[in-house]
Amino acid sequence: MQDRPSAAELAQAVREFIETEVLPGIDDPRLRFRMLVAANGLGILEREIGTGAPLVRREVESLARLLDHADPLPDDIDELRRRAGDLNRELALRIRGGDTPEGTLAHCVTTVADKLRVASPRYLERYR
Amino acid sequence: MSVGAAFSVELRERLTPLFGADIAIERLALLAGGASKEAWALDLRTPQGTRELLVRRAGGGVIHQETLTLEHEHRLLEVAFAAGVRVPKPYGYLGEIAGRPAFVSERVSGETIGRRIVQRPDLAAARAVLPVQIAEELAKIHAIPAERVPFLGGGGAAVILRRLTDEVDLLGDAHPAIELGLAWAKRQAPEQSETVVLHGDLRVGNLAVTPTGLGHVLDWEFGHYGDPAEDVAWPLVRAWRFGIDQLRLGGIGEVEPYLEHYNALTGRHITLDSLDYWEIVGNLKWAIGALTQSRRHLSGQQRSVELAVLGRLAAEMEYELLHLLERAG
Repeated sequence: MQDRPSAAELAQAVREFIETEVLPGIDDPRLRFRMLVAANGLGILEREIGTGAPLVRREVESLARLLDHADPLPDDIDELRRRAGDLNRELALRIRGGDTPEGTLAHCVTTVADKLRVASPRYLERYR
Repeated sequence: MSVGAAFSVELRERLTPLFGADIAIERLALLAGGASKEAWALDLRTPQGTRELLVRRAGGGVIHQETLTLEHEHRLLEVAFAAGVRVPKPYGYLGEIAGRPAFVSERVSGETIGRRIVQRPDLAAARAVLPVQIAEELAKIHAIPAERVPFLGGGGAAVILRRLTDEVDLLGDAHPAIELGLAWAKRQAPEQSETVVLHGDLRVGNLAVTPTGLGHVLDWEFGHYGDPAEDVAWPLVRAWRFGIDQLRLGGIGEVEPYLEHYNALTGRHITLDSLDYWEIVGNLKWAIGALTQSRRHLSGQQRSVELAVLGRLAAEMEYELLHLLERAG
């Protein structure tokens, strides 16, 4: 096992360094904007390390229900991500073929909200 | 940024036919760079005084497939300028400078950053008149005779949806929310509509705004033919409200007076339902656009942290898309 800081703590340390030490010294607006984007990227990384795994599991469970798959879910996170990719492909093909399963819209709203919890939580909070 | 001497010398050579031999480059500074396009601020001394110019030049990377070449963008600017659209005055296509095509236009002032346009207190008066002014510019653009810009591509809803579907297929992974949107948009597509010259990206963020209102319409590289409602609905897309979400027209105003003014000027009868349709297509366009741009980074075509993060922000457009679909039923 690696010593602390953990992956999330390390990403947070770099983000805080950018925000408190680097950004105040940058005058070039283009570089400043990309610096903010970079800090935002690290924020996404922190949240994904912290809360990403259960969200993937939730997505796969919902997809399996929607598509009537009964096979047990893998425990390994990489396996789970692969499964999510496969099931999303199957669902996308069904929609494109005009055979959209009942409940797809609600599934998508929940799943995309979960993506935003990692990628853009403030957008999700602000959304009305 | 310092500029290579060869670049300055060649630029000056190309400017001579346009401004005469008695010219000197006083300042040349890179404003925005990227793999696809550069923008240079150029102060040029001429016998009539110093001119503030902008040089647009291709970047070193691959140009986005759906954008106009610099020669065509310049031609579209010329045609729009002649039609009385408020655009920076185009001075000429320069051909290749140090191996890359470029053109020169007037350099205009005004606020161009979307977030500041919707927020700056000293732009409140501008925000009050912008909706009507945007409608006026769109009306003029949509009246440009198509034969003057025969190089434009595009088409009605069916053509756009086919292109978007092709782009989704190139992403490499599946996006059920986007598929739902594409399926809905194909079912609801208008059967027939007129096709006119469109700006293709007219919204807050691509306008130069002064305290008195709209200064100039910028960024013409997405010009194409299409349904006029596509252009009228594009500035409604939530991403272009820059956080002032309750003002559906670009975070600056209500839709109804804007649409009424556009219809009165053009004699068209675009409905709010039609704008609802094209707002959904607009969210699809930008969701797919954001994912596609992140692939430019991932494939190594253009390494950029900005493009990388865009791949994750596509979820914002998906979320909006799903809510608009829920409402549309």
